Amino acid sequence: MIYLNNAATSWPKPPEVCMAITRSLAQPVFGSGRTAGSEGEDYITQAREALVQLFHTGPGENWVFTHNATDALNILIPGFIASVEGPCHVITTALDHNSVLRPLHELERAGRITLTVVPFENAKISPDVVRAAICPETRLVVMSHGSNVLGSVQDIHAIGEILHERGIYFIVDGAQTAGHMPVDLGNLPVDAFIFTGHKALFGVPGTGGFYIRDPSRVGTVRYGGTGTDSFSLFQPDEMPDKYEIGTHNYPGLAALAAGIAFVCSAGTAAIAKKGEQQAAYIISELKKEPNIIIYNETPELPIIAFNIEGMENDDVGFVLARAYGVISRTGLHCAPLVHKTLTNGKGCVRVSPSWFTTDGECRVAVKAIREVAQGANSSLNQA
Amino acid sequence: MKEFLLSDPVTEDFFLFLKNFGHVEILPNVGEGFYKFEKKDCFSIKGLVGDTTLEVRFIPEVMDITVKFLYALFHFYGDGKPDIKTLKQREAGMEKRVNESLYGK
Repeated sequence: MIYLNNAATSWPKPPEVCMAITRSLAQPVFGSGRTAGSEGEDYITQAREALVQLFHTGPGENWVFTHNATDALNILIPGFIASVEGPCHVITTALDHNSVLRPLHELERAGRITLTVVPFENAKISPDVVRAAICPETRLVVMSHGSNVLGSVQDIHAIGEILHERGIYFIVDGAQTAGHMPVDLGNLPVDAFIFTGHKALFGVPGTGGFYIRDPSRVGTVRYGGTGTDSFSLFQPDEMPDKYEIGTHNYPGLAALAAGIAFVCSAGTAAIAKKGEQQAAYIISELKKEPNIIIYNETPELPIIAFNIEGMENDDVGFVLARAYGVISRTGLHCAPLVHKTLTNGKGCVRVSPSWFTTDGECRVAVKAIREVAQGANSSLNQA
Repeated sequence: MKEFLLSDPVTEDFFLFLKNFGHVEILPNVGEGFYKFEKKDCFSIKGLVGDTTLEVRFIPEVMDITVKFLYALFHFYGDGKPDIKTLKQREAGMEKRVNESLYGK
Protein backbone atom coordinates (compact mmCIF):
# COMPACT_ATOMS: atom_id res chain seq x y z
CA MET A 1 0.00 0.00 0.00
CA ILE A 2 1.15 3.51 -0.78
CA TYR A 3 -0.64 5.86 1.58
CA LEU A 4 -1.13 9.31 0.06
CA ASN A 5 -3.90 10.62 2.28
CA ASN A 6 -1.76 12.44 4.81
CA ALA A 7 -3.66 15.71 4.47
CA ALA A 8 -6.55 13.83 6.10
CA THR A 9 -4.61 11.84 8.70
CA SER A 10 -0.92 11.02 8.60
CA TRP A 11 0.30 7.44 8.41
CA PRO A 12 2.61 5.86 9.36
CA LYS A 13 3.38 7.43 12.71
CA PRO A 14 6.96 7.64 13.98
CA PRO A 15 7.89 4.65 16.18
CA GLU A 16 8.41 7.08 19.07
CA VAL A 17 4.72 8.01 18.89
CA CYS A 18 3.56 4.39 19.02
CA MET A 19 5.89 3.75 21.95
CA ALA A 20 4.62 6.84 23.79
CA ILE A 21 1.03 5.62 23.53
CA THR A 22 1.97 2.17 24.77
CA ARG A 23 3.95 3.66 27.65
CA SER A 24 1.10 5.99 28.59
CA LEU A 25 -1.30 3.07 28.86
CA ALA A 26 1.13 0.95 30.83
CA GLN A 27 1.59 3.51 33.63
CA PRO A 28 -0.72 5.64 35.74
CA VAL A 29 -1.13 9.24 34.73
CA PHE A 30 0.05 12.25 36.67
CA GLY A 31 -1.94 15.41 36.18
CA SER A 32 -1.87 18.24 38.65
CA GLY A 33 -5.11 18.42 40.65
CA ARG A 34 -6.38 15.11 39.33
CA THR A 35 -4.40 12.56 41.31
CA ALA A 36 -2.61 12.35 44.62
CA GLY A 37 0.12 10.30 43.00
CA SER A 38 3.31 11.65 41.51
CA GLU A 39 4.87 8.55 40.00
CA GLY A 40 3.48 8.76 36.46
CA GLU A 41 4.27 11.11 33.60
CA ASP A 42 2.63 14.50 33.16
CA TYR A 43 1.78 14.20 29.47
CA ILE A 44 -0.34 17.34 29.52
CA THR A 45 2.55 19.56 30.53
CA GLN A 46 4.91 17.73 28.18
CA ALA A 47 2.60 18.35 25.24
CA ARG A 48 2.17 22.03 26.12
CA GLU A 49 5.92 22.52 26.40
CA ALA A 50 6.41 20.78 23.06
CA LEU A 51 3.95 23.20 21.42
CA VAL A 52 5.71 26.22 22.97
CA GLN A 53 9.01 24.99 21.57
CA LEU A 54 7.68 24.23 18.07
CA PHE A 55 5.71 27.43 17.59
CA HIS A 56 7.89 29.83 19.63
CA THR A 57 5.08 31.11 21.80
CA GLY A 58 4.60 32.49 25.27
CA PRO A 59 3.41 30.43 28.22
CA GLY A 60 2.26 26.85 27.81
CA GLU A 61 -0.95 27.69 29.66
CA ASN A 62 -2.09 29.62 26.59
CA TRP A 63 -2.17 26.37 24.61
CA VAL A 64 -5.55 24.71 25.04
CA PHE A 65 -6.25 21.08 24.21
CA THR A 66 -9.43 20.06 22.43
CA HIS A 67 -10.66 16.96 20.62
CA ASN A 68 -9.47 18.23 17.21
CA ALA A 69 -9.20 21.40 15.11
CA THR A 70 -12.94 21.57 14.43
CA ASP A 71 -13.60 21.37 18.14
CA ALA A 72 -11.14 24.22 18.73
CA LEU A 73 -12.93 26.40 16.17
CA ASN A 74 -16.24 25.61 17.84
CA ILE A 75 -14.86 27.01 21.08
CA LEU A 76 -13.07 30.04 19.68
CA ILE A 77 -15.61 31.33 17.18
CA PRO A 78 -18.73 31.32 19.41
CA GLY A 79 -16.58 32.34 22.37
CA PHE A 80 -15.36 35.43 20.55
CA ILE A 81 -18.81 36.31 19.19
CA ALA A 82 -20.27 36.02 22.70
CA SER A 83 -17.83 38.66 23.90
CA VAL A 84 -18.71 41.20 21.17
CA GLU A 85 -21.16 43.96 21.92
CA GLY A 86 -23.23 45.41 19.07
CA PRO A 87 -23.24 44.38 15.40
CA CYS A 88 -20.63 41.84 14.40
CA HIS A 89 -19.38 41.35 10.87
CA VAL A 90 -17.08 38.39 10.21
CA ILE A 91 -14.88 37.64 7.21
CA THR A 92 -13.79 34.22 6.07
CA THR A 93 -12.59 32.80 2.76
CA ALA A 94 -13.74 30.50 0.00
CA LEU A 95 -10.68 28.36 0.64
CA ASP A 96 -11.87 27.37 4.07
CA HIS A 97 -12.96 24.02 5.43
CA ASN A 98 -16.43 23.30 6.77
CA SER A 99 -14.91 23.42 10.25
CA VAL A 100 -14.81 27.20 9.72
CA LEU A 101 -17.67 27.66 7.27
CA ARG A 102 -20.34 25.77 9.16
CA PRO A 103 -19.95 27.44 12.57
CA LEU A 104 -19.96 30.84 10.85
CA HIS A 105 -22.95 30.10 8.64
CA GLU A 106 -24.89 28.78 11.63
CA LEU A 107 -24.16 32.01 13.51
CA GLU A 108 -25.23 34.00 10.47
CA ARG A 109 -28.47 32.01 10.21
CA ALA A 110 -29.13 32.68 13.89
CA GLY A 111 -28.78 36.42 13.23
CA ARG A 112 -25.75 36.74 15.48
CA ILE A 113 -23.32 37.88 12.76
CA THR A 114 -23.16 39.12 9.21
CA LEU A 115 -20.70 37.21 7.07
CA THR A 116 -18.53 37.91 4.05
CA VAL A 117 -16.75 35.07 2.26
CA VAL A 118 -13.90 36.49 0.21
CA PRO A 119 -12.86 34.69 -2.99
CA PHE A 120 -9.47 33.25 -3.83
CA GLU A 121 -7.43 33.72 -6.96
CA ASN A 122 -4.66 31.33 -8.02
CA ALA A 123 -5.20 29.45 -4.75
CA LYS A 124 -4.40 32.58 -2.72
CA ILE A 125 -6.32 35.04 -0.60
CA SER A 126 -5.07 38.49 -1.44
CA PRO A 127 -4.54 40.77 1.59
CA ASP A 128 -6.08 43.54 -0.54
CA VAL A 129 -9.26 41.51 -0.98
CA VAL A 130 -9.50 41.05 2.79
CA ARG A 131 -8.87 44.76 3.31
CA ALA A 132 -11.64 45.63 0.85
CA ALA A 133 -14.11 43.38 2.68
CA ILE A 134 -13.61 45.15 6.00
CA CYS A 135 -16.48 47.38 7.14
CA PRO A 136 -16.96 49.40 10.35
CA GLU A 137 -18.71 46.42 12.00
CA THR A 138 -15.97 43.90 11.18
CA ARG A 139 -14.80 42.31 14.40
CA LEU A 140 -13.36 38.97 13.34
CA VAL A 141 -11.53 37.21 10.50
CA VAL A 142 -11.27 33.43 10.51
CA MET A 143 -9.26 31.73 7.78
CA SER A 144 -7.13 28.71 7.01
CA HIS A 145 -3.37 29.07 6.89
CA GLY A 146 -2.96 26.27 4.36
CA SER A 147 -5.62 25.03 1.94
CA ASN A 148 -6.49 21.36 2.40
CA VAL A 149 -7.38 21.10 -1.30
CA LEU A 150 -4.85 23.30 -3.07
CA GLY A 151 -1.90 23.18 -0.69
CA SER A 152 -1.47 26.93 -0.88
CA VAL A 153 -0.25 28.87 2.16
CA GLN A 154 -1.77 32.27 2.88
CA ASP A 155 0.16 35.37 3.81
CA ILE A 156 -1.21 35.56 7.33
CA HIS A 157 1.49 38.04 8.30
CA ALA A 158 0.31 40.65 5.82
CA ILE A 159 -3.36 39.95 6.49
CA GLY A 160 -2.82 40.00 10.27
CA GLU A 161 -1.14 43.42 10.08
CA ILE A 162 -4.09 44.85 8.17
CA LEU A 163 -6.49 43.46 10.75
CA HIS A 164 -4.56 44.53 13.81
CA GLU A 165 -4.27 48.09 12.53
CA ARG A 166 -8.06 48.11 12.74
CA GLY A 167 -8.44 46.16 16.00
CA ILE A 168 -9.97 43.14 14.25
CA TYR A 169 -9.52 39.75 15.91
CA PHE A 170 -7.70 37.15 13.79
CA ILE A 171 -8.20 33.38 14.13
CA VAL A 172 -6.03 31.21 11.90
CA ASP A 173 -6.77 27.54 11.22
CA GLY A 174 -3.37 25.87 11.01
CA ALA A 175 -4.63 22.30 10.65
CA GLN A 176 -2.71 21.84 7.39
CA THR A 177 0.42 23.81 8.19
CA ALA A 178 1.24 22.84 11.79
CA GLY A 179 4.24 20.52 11.50
CA HIS A 180 4.52 20.91 7.73
CA MET A 181 6.42 24.18 7.75
CA PRO A 182 8.00 26.61 10.19
CA VAL A 183 5.32 28.66 11.95
CA ASP A 184 6.67 31.32 14.29
CA LEU A 185 3.70 32.47 16.33
CA GLY A 186 6.01 34.67 18.34
CA ASN A 187 6.31 36.92 15.28
CA LEU A 188 2.97 36.52 13.56
CA PRO A 189 0.11 38.99 14.11
CA VAL A 190 -2.33 36.22 14.92
CA ASP A 191 -4.66 36.21 17.93
CA ALA A 192 -5.50 32.52 17.97
CA PHE A 193 -3.96 29.64 16.05
CA ILE A 194 -5.59 26.24 15.69
CA PHE A 195 -3.77 22.94 15.25
CA THR A 196 -4.71 19.31 14.95
CA GLY A 197 -2.62 16.49 16.37
CA HIS A 198 -3.19 13.75 13.83
CA LYS A 199 -1.85 15.28 10.61
CA ALA A 200 1.71 16.63 10.27
CA LEU A 201 2.34 16.66 14.02
CA PHE A 202 2.16 12.84 13.81
CA GLY A 203 -0.11 12.43 16.81
CA VAL A 204 -3.35 10.50 16.79
CA PRO A 205 -6.98 11.42 16.04
CA GLY A 206 -8.78 12.92 19.03
CA THR A 207 -6.14 15.55 19.73
CA GLY A 208 -5.97 19.18 18.72
CA GLY A 209 -6.28 22.59 20.23
CA PHE A 210 -5.38 26.22 19.94
CA TYR A 211 -2.99 28.92 21.07
CA ILE A 212 -4.62 32.08 22.32
CA ARG A 213 -2.58 35.21 22.85
CA ASP A 214 -5.03 37.10 25.06
CA PRO A 215 -7.68 34.89 26.65
CA SER A 216 -9.64 37.89 27.91
CA ARG A 217 -10.90 38.46 24.33
CA VAL A 218 -12.73 35.14 24.01
CA GLY A 219 -15.57 34.05 26.26
CA THR A 220 -16.13 30.61 27.66
CA VAL A 221 -18.70 28.41 25.96
CA ARG A 222 -18.08 25.13 27.77
CA TYR A 223 -18.21 24.47 31.44
CA GLY A 224 -17.17 21.65 33.73
CA GLY A 225 -14.58 20.12 35.97
CA THR A 226 -10.98 21.25 35.76
CA GLY A 227 -9.42 19.72 38.86
CA THR A 228 -8.85 23.26 40.17
CA ASP A 229 -10.85 25.78 42.21
CA SER A 230 -13.42 23.04 42.68
CA PHE A 231 -15.43 24.83 45.36
CA SER A 232 -16.45 27.45 42.80
CA LEU A 233 -19.62 26.67 40.87
CA PHE A 234 -18.43 28.82 37.99
CA GLN A 235 -15.80 28.22 35.33
CA PRO A 236 -12.35 29.44 36.44
CA ASP A 237 -10.83 32.35 34.52
CA GLU A 238 -7.31 30.94 34.79
CA MET A 239 -5.66 29.39 31.79
CA PRO A 240 -6.06 26.78 30.47
CA ASP A 241 -8.97 25.88 32.76
CA LYS A 242 -11.06 28.63 31.21
CA TYR A 243 -11.48 26.44 28.10
CA GLU A 244 -10.22 22.96 29.03
CA ILE A 245 -12.81 20.84 30.77
CA GLY A 246 -13.09 17.19 31.70
CA THR A 247 -10.49 14.46 31.64
CA HIS A 248 -7.74 14.86 29.09
CA ASN A 249 -6.89 12.39 26.37
CA TYR A 250 -3.70 11.22 28.09
CA PRO A 251 -2.57 8.66 25.49
CA GLY A 252 -3.35 11.19 22.76
CA LEU A 253 -1.33 13.92 24.46
CA ALA A 254 1.55 11.52 25.07
CA ALA A 255 1.47 10.78 21.33
CA LEU A 256 1.27 14.49 20.52
CA ALA A 257 4.31 15.31 22.64
CA ALA A 258 6.26 12.50 20.98
CA GLY A 259 5.07 13.54 17.52
CA ILE A 260 6.12 17.15 18.04
CA ALA A 261 9.47 16.02 19.37
CA PHE A 262 9.89 14.02 16.17
CA VAL A 263 8.97 17.04 14.02
CA CYS A 264 11.46 19.20 15.95
CA SER A 265 14.23 16.65 15.45
CA ALA A 266 13.52 16.34 11.72
CA GLY A 267 13.13 20.12 11.42
CA THR A 268 10.13 21.85 9.90
CA ALA A 269 12.28 23.48 7.22
CA ALA A 270 13.50 20.07 6.04
CA ILE A 271 9.96 18.67 6.20
CA ALA A 272 8.65 21.59 4.14
CA LYS A 273 11.43 21.25 1.56
CA LYS A 274 10.87 17.54 1.06
CA GLY A 275 7.12 18.04 0.75
CA GLU A 276 7.52 20.76 -1.86
CA GLN A 277 9.97 18.67 -3.87
CA GLN A 278 7.73 15.61 -3.89
CA ALA A 279 4.69 17.65 -4.83
CA ALA A 280 6.61 19.33 -7.65
CA TYR A 281 7.76 15.93 -8.94
CA ILE A 282 4.26 14.43 -8.86
CA ILE A 283 2.80 17.46 -10.64
CA SER A 284 5.50 17.52 -13.30
CA GLU A 285 4.79 13.86 -14.09
CA LEU A 286 1.00 14.18 -14.07
CA LYS A 287 1.24 17.14 -16.45
CA LYS A 288 2.58 14.75 -19.10
CA GLU A 289 -0.89 13.25 -19.48
CA PRO A 290 -3.14 15.53 -21.52
CA ASN A 291 -6.31 14.25 -19.86
CA ILE A 292 -5.19 14.96 -16.30
CA ILE A 293 -6.51 18.27 -15.01
CA ILE A 294 -4.32 19.63 -12.21
CA TYR A 295 -5.87 22.29 -10.02
CA ASN A 296 -2.75 23.42 -8.17
CA GLU A 297 0.49 23.56 -10.09
CA THR A 298 2.63 25.22 -7.41
CA PRO A 299 1.50 24.12 -3.96
CA GLU A 300 3.59 25.03 -0.94
CA LEU A 301 2.24 22.04 0.97
CA PRO A 302 2.49 18.44 -0.30
CA ILE A 303 -1.05 18.35 -1.66
CA ILE A 304 -1.93 17.68 -5.28
CA ALA A 305 -5.49 18.04 -6.55
CA PHE A 306 -6.48 16.61 -9.92
CA ASN A 307 -9.11 14.94 -12.05
CA ILE A 308 -8.92 12.59 -15.00
CA GLU A 309 -11.15 13.56 -17.92
CA GLY A 310 -13.89 11.04 -18.55
CA MET A 311 -13.77 9.53 -15.06
CA GLU A 312 -15.49 10.54 -11.85
CA ASN A 313 -13.01 11.37 -9.10
CA ASP A 314 -14.49 8.70 -6.87
CA ASP A 315 -13.89 6.09 -9.57
CA VAL A 316 -10.28 7.18 -9.96
CA GLY A 317 -9.76 6.77 -6.22
CA PHE A 318 -11.43 3.36 -6.36
CA VAL A 319 -9.20 2.12 -9.18
CA LEU A 320 -6.03 3.53 -7.63
CA ALA A 321 -6.80 1.78 -4.35
CA ARG A 322 -7.99 -1.55 -5.73
CA ALA A 323 -5.74 -2.02 -8.72
CA TYR A 324 -2.58 -0.28 -7.50
CA GLY A 325 -2.82 -0.01 -3.72
CA VAL A 326 -2.51 3.78 -3.87
CA ILE A 327 -4.65 5.47 -1.23
CA SER A 328 -5.96 8.93 -2.10
CA ARG A 329 -8.88 11.04 -0.97
CA THR A 330 -11.70 11.90 -3.36
CA GLY A 331 -14.73 14.16 -3.27
CA LEU A 332 -15.15 17.62 -1.82
CA HIS A 333 -12.64 17.36 1.05
CA CYS A 334 -15.08 19.28 3.31
CA ALA A 335 -14.21 22.41 1.34
CA PRO A 336 -17.36 23.01 -0.73
CA LEU A 337 -16.57 26.54 -1.87
CA VAL A 338 -13.18 25.57 -3.30
CA HIS A 339 -14.87 22.91 -5.38
CA LYS A 340 -17.74 25.16 -6.36
CA THR A 341 -15.11 27.41 -7.97
CA LEU A 342 -12.70 24.82 -9.34
CA THR A 343 -14.62 21.65 -10.16
CA ASN A 344 -18.17 22.87 -10.55
CA GLY A 345 -18.98 21.12 -7.31
CA LYS A 346 -17.93 17.69 -8.56
CA GLY A 347 -14.84 17.28 -6.40
CA CYS A 348 -11.47 15.86 -7.31
CA VAL A 349 -8.76 13.39 -6.35
CA ARG A 350 -6.25 14.55 -3.76
CA VAL A 351 -2.91 12.91 -3.10
CA SER A 352 -0.82 14.07 -0.16
CA PRO A 353 2.53 12.53 0.76
CA SER A 354 4.16 12.94 4.15
CA TRP A 355 7.67 13.03 5.58
CA PHE A 356 7.58 9.23 5.53
CA THR A 357 6.62 8.92 1.86
CA THR A 358 9.63 7.83 -0.14
CA ASP A 359 10.58 9.14 -3.56
CA GLY A 360 10.18 5.57 -4.81
CA GLU A 361 6.58 5.50 -3.58
CA CYS A 362 5.94 8.79 -5.38
CA ARG A 363 7.30 7.26 -8.60
CA VAL A 364 5.07 4.18 -8.29
CA ALA A 365 2.02 6.30 -7.46
CA VAL A 366 2.63 8.63 -10.39
CA LYS A 367 3.01 5.66 -12.73
CA ALA A 368 -0.30 4.28 -11.45
CA ILE A 369 -2.15 7.57 -11.92
CA ARG A 370 -0.71 7.99 -15.40
CA GLU A 371 -1.73 4.43 -16.32
CA VAL A 372 -5.28 5.07 -15.16
CA ALA A 373 -5.36 8.28 -17.19
CA GLN A 374 -4.00 6.52 -20.27
CA GLY A 375 -6.48 3.68 -19.78
CA ALA A 376 -9.37 6.10 -19.47
CA ASN A 377 -8.24 7.95 -22.56
CA SER A 378 -7.92 4.84 -24.72
CA SER A 379 -11.17 3.35 -23.37
CA LEU A 380 -13.09 6.48 -24.22
CA ASN A 381 -11.50 6.67 -27.66
CA GLN A 382 -12.52 3.03 -28.29
CA ALA A 383 -16.10 3.83 -27.37
CA MET B 1 -21.36 1.97 0.94
CA LYS B 2 -21.01 -1.80 1.31
CA GLU B 3 -18.25 -4.02 0.11
CA PHE B 4 -19.18 -7.49 -1.07
CA LEU B 5 -16.58 -10.24 -0.98
CA LEU B 6 -17.11 -12.71 -3.81
CA SER B 7 -16.19 -16.35 -4.05
CA ASP B 8 -14.84 -15.81 -7.59
CA PRO B 9 -13.17 -12.88 -9.29
CA VAL B 10 -15.36 -10.31 -11.01
CA THR B 11 -15.84 -10.92 -14.74
CA GLU B 12 -16.83 -8.75 -17.66
CA ASP B 13 -19.68 -11.17 -18.22
CA PHE B 14 -21.24 -10.28 -14.87
CA PHE B 15 -21.50 -6.61 -15.78
CA LEU B 16 -22.84 -7.47 -19.23
CA PHE B 17 -25.53 -9.49 -17.41
CA LEU B 18 -26.30 -6.42 -15.26
CA LYS B 19 -26.95 -4.40 -18.44
CA ASN B 20 -30.39 -6.02 -18.45
CA PHE B 21 -31.31 -4.03 -15.33
CA GLY B 22 -29.65 -0.64 -15.62
CA HIS B 23 -26.85 1.43 -17.08
CA VAL B 24 -23.36 -0.03 -17.33
CA GLU B 25 -20.27 2.10 -17.90
CA ILE B 26 -17.16 0.31 -19.12
CA LEU B 27 -13.56 1.47 -19.21
CA PRO B 28 -11.90 -1.71 -20.48
CA ASN B 29 -8.37 -0.32 -20.44
CA VAL B 30 -8.41 0.95 -16.87
CA GLY B 31 -6.74 -1.66 -14.70
CA GLU B 32 -7.94 -5.04 -15.98
CA GLY B 33 -11.22 -3.36 -16.86
CA PHE B 34 -13.30 -0.99 -14.75
CA TYR B 35 -17.05 -1.46 -14.67
CA LYS B 36 -19.79 0.55 -13.10
CA PHE B 37 -23.46 -0.36 -12.94
CA GLU B 38 -26.12 2.13 -11.98
CA LYS B 39 -29.70 1.35 -11.17
CA LYS B 40 -31.47 4.65 -10.67
CA ASP B 41 -33.04 5.16 -7.24
CA CYS B 42 -31.69 1.80 -6.06
CA PHE B 43 -27.94 1.24 -6.02
CA SER B 44 -24.71 1.37 -7.99
CA ILE B 45 -22.01 -1.29 -8.25
CA LYS B 46 -18.35 -0.74 -9.01
CA GLY B 47 -15.76 -3.34 -9.74
CA LEU B 48 -12.53 -4.22 -11.46
CA VAL B 49 -12.25 -7.36 -13.53
CA GLY B 50 -10.21 -9.95 -11.66
CA ASP B 51 -10.91 -8.43 -8.24
CA THR B 52 -12.84 -10.46 -5.68
CA THR B 53 -14.73 -7.53 -4.19
CA LEU B 54 -17.47 -5.24 -5.41
CA GLU B 55 -18.39 -1.87 -3.99
CA VAL B 56 -22.12 -1.26 -3.73
CA ARG B 57 -23.68 2.08 -2.86
CA PHE B 58 -27.31 1.98 -1.85
CA ILE B 59 -29.90 4.73 -1.66
CA PRO B 60 -30.27 4.47 2.12
CA GLU B 61 -34.00 5.27 2.24
CA VAL B 62 -34.90 2.19 0.19
CA MET B 63 -32.03 -0.11 0.99
CA ASP B 64 -34.24 -2.60 2.81
CA ILE B 65 -36.20 -3.02 -0.44
CA THR B 66 -33.36 -2.98 -2.95
CA VAL B 67 -30.86 -5.18 -1.13
CA LYS B 68 -33.09 -8.20 -1.71
CA PHE B 69 -33.02 -7.57 -5.44
CA LEU B 70 -29.24 -7.19 -5.33
CA TYR B 71 -28.93 -10.57 -3.64
CA ALA B 72 -31.23 -12.02 -6.28
CA LEU B 73 -28.92 -10.69 -9.00
CA PHE B 74 -25.91 -12.31 -7.33
CA HIS B 75 -27.78 -15.54 -6.72
CA PHE B 76 -29.24 -15.95 -10.18
CA TYR B 77 -25.98 -15.04 -11.88
CA GLY B 78 -24.00 -17.38 -9.63
CA ASP B 79 -26.36 -20.17 -10.58
CA GLY B 80 -24.84 -20.16 -14.05
CA LYS B 81 -28.11 -19.81 -15.96
CA PRO B 82 -29.57 -16.47 -14.99
CA ASP B 83 -33.33 -16.42 -15.47
CA ILE B 84 -33.74 -12.92 -16.87
CA LYS B 85 -37.53 -13.21 -17.14
CA THR B 86 -37.99 -14.00 -13.45
CA LEU B 87 -35.51 -11.30 -12.45
CA LYS B 88 -37.38 -8.76 -14.58
CA GLN B 89 -40.59 -9.62 -12.73
CA ARG B 90 -38.83 -9.12 -9.38
CA GLU B 91 -37.32 -5.90 -10.68
CA ALA B 92 -40.76 -4.54 -11.57
CA GLY B 93 -42.09 -5.36 -8.11
CA MET B 94 -39.09 -3.78 -6.43
CA GLU B 95 -39.29 -0.62 -8.56
CA LYS B 96 -42.96 -0.22 -7.69
CA ARG B 97 -42.15 -0.33 -3.96
CA VAL B 98 -39.18 2.00 -4.40
CA ASN B 99 -41.31 4.55 -6.26
CA GLU B 100 -43.95 4.38 -3.55
CA SER B 101 -41.35 4.84 -0.86
CA LEU B 102 -39.38 7.66 -2.52
CA TYR B 103 -42.08 9.53 -4.44
CA GLY B 104 -45.38 8.30 -2.97
CA LYS B 105 -46.57 6.96 -6.35
